[in-house]
Amino acid sequence: MTGARSATLGLLAVALIGFWQATRLESWSFDGPGAGFFPQLVAGLCIALALVVLVAPGRPGATEAGDTDADGTGAEDADAKDTGAEDTNRADAAVAARSRRTFALYAASFVVLALGAAYAGFALTVIAVAILIVRFAEGRSWFAAIGYGLACALIGLVCFGWLLRVDLPESAIERAFYALVR
Amino acid sequence: MEALLGGFAVTLSIENLAYCFVGVLLGTVVGILPGLGPLTTIAILLPITFKMDVTSAIIMLSGIYYGVAYGGTVTSVLMRIPGEASSVVTCLDGYEMARKGRAGAALGVAGIGSFVAGTVGVIGISFLSPPLAQLVVKFGPAEYAMLMLAGLSLVTYMSGGSLARALLMAAFGLLLGTIGSDPINMTQRLTFDLLSLGDGINLVPLAIGLFGLSEVLFMARQDPDALKVLPPPSRLLGFMPSREEARRSVAPVGRGTVLGFLVGLLPGGGAVLASFLSYAIERKLSKRPEEFGHGAVEGVAGPESANNAGTAGAFVPLLCMGIPANAITALLLGAFMIHGVTPGPTILERQPEVFWGVVASMYIGNVMLLILNLPLIGLFVRILEVPRAFLAPMILAVCLIGVYSSSGNPADVVLAVVFGFVGYGLRRSGFDLGIVILAYVLGPIFERSVRQALAISDGDPMIFFHSWLSGGFAVLAVAILVAGLWPKRVGQAA
Repeated sequence: MTGARSATLGLLAVALIGFWQATRLESWSFDGPGAGFFPQLVAGLCIALALVVLVAPGRPGATEAGDTDADGTGAEDADAKDTGAEDTNRADAAVAARSRRTFALYAASFVVLALGAAYAGFALTVIAVAILIVRFAEGRSWFAAIGYGLACALIGLVCFGWLLRVDLPESAIERAFYALVR
Repeated sequence: MEALLGGFAVTLSIENLAYCFVGVLLGTVVGILPGLGPLTTIAILLPITFKMDVTSAIIMLSGIYYGVAYGGTVTSVLMRIPGEASSVVTCLDGYEMARKGRAGAALGVAGIGSFVAGTVGVIGISFLSPPLAQLVVKFGPAEYAMLMLAGLSLVTYMSGGSLARALLMAAFGLLLGTIGSDPINMTQRLTFDLLSLGDGINLVPLAIGLFGLSEVLFMARQDPDALKVLPPPSRLLGFMPSREEARRSVAPVGRGTVLGFLVGLLPGGGAVLASFLSYAIERKLSKRPEEFGHGAVEGVAGPESANNAGTAGAFVPLLCMGIPANAITALLLGAFMIHGVTPGPTILERQPEVFWGVVASMYIGNVMLLILNLPLIGLFVRILEVPRAFLAPMILAVCLIGVYSSSGNPADVVLAVVFGFVGYGLRRSGFDLGIVILAYVLGPIFERSVRQALAISDGDPMIFFHSWLSGGFAVLAVAILVAGLWPKRVGQAA
């Protein structure tokens, strides 16, 4: 199955759930279309279009940075290319494995971001993300990773948290910092 | 004219000049960095503007939008890599000129053409907006609904991919827009009884997730090896085109300006389409079509002027009708709404200082861009040397600040992360996410108009054809969709 079809299946599932929820709402009331009218219409349209794309995926669309896979068929095709490289050359296989590992670590940094925002506060989250990317994903030194993380956290706290008074995720570190400067 | 002078008075305050400068500077930098586009940047910075005055916020965000068109040229000419989509076509002849030692002339022609087009485009906004706003005041819900339908159809048609995919993205965006409170009677919809979805999906986590976070995942896949950059001229005089190049550039700049502005007015138009159309026209009209693709100066002058004029033109439907022409102006519409200003025909009466302040800032922003871009290109090019190992954590930190500060709710960060993965998957599969944002922003306005029209007519859909205007828009929407199918069938038959 191509990447486009996998993505469309995901969209189809979302649209089906949306449609199911929308059918529980009133589609027409005494004064005209009800709360469920538009979601039912749109979810129904989404389902129909997802089925059309599943049958005939068509050409990929334009994106902001032209970042679509050249063939527009998505991740699995690219993975297939990686697999082909593994078969032909051990060095290429190592590069492909490293590339997958880098990608997985970048993706893991998102999870750290979400969990950190809820539980660890801004500074710790940013430092953890920097270590994950700079040290583990990119293989730079611990000194560079921790130093860069600290710099990002400090700039964020000073510029955004203190000077611009932007709300940042808070923990004891942020509270202590604000107590010092505010 | 008096109103425009009032706009200059607003813009020429130290604070607004500073925001204008920050906007155009960021726009230039973002335009230079391949991958990080204006959508991503505006999405990331949107929450930071919440505590700013509305005029200052829009001045800065608009500066990013039109500044990008300048910056994107640099990487197109020096590296054959477009910094952003509207500079794609400049790669063809701009890079070839650079290889022949005419990088300075290419950048100079592009910079001067962009300045002329941007300035003329802003003059167009000044003169076209008031009469257009007067016309739009007469629109009822049916006219508005059909105008938006025509706009959405045009955007999907011009997305470049298959019509079904583009329409699916539009429907997905509309569906996301229905989550939360019903815009008319406040009934909770599609929330799955989750409190965090009670107010719907906010624009900020959606936009930052789809564009900002997914961009970081794309960076992870890129080859981190340094890109080859051709050297720009070290002296200001090096940017001056020769007399022959200047003579050959005059007409393309003029044509690109007019064409770009007109294309920018169309929903789905804007800078990208304008630049491609201009290139096609210049090649058609040229006495030396064989030079195109091998360093023809017309292939730089026309598209670069058109993309700047297109950017300016896209502000007309946004400010006068409250209808964004593309995803970036949809985000700007979101920014207006978050600040409690509804762009549309009444903005000229109710908040003229916002409208004319933004228009005046564009005049000043274009001058700033010209001054910034020619002498400082060498400095900007060095930005490309920042390794992704350091760029990615910085983007993630700014995304975290942006999402969290918009609501103070960690659930929004989770939502942004989810949309980051969704955005990555959809972009890799060739889906155009700009349409999602556009449909998401237009969705609630479209729904309200449709429901109001149907309530007035007691459910009779013929209300959408009761006036020539709404009927015309409806027919246009259908015609666009049918036209979207037509060439593919011909192509398939062949």
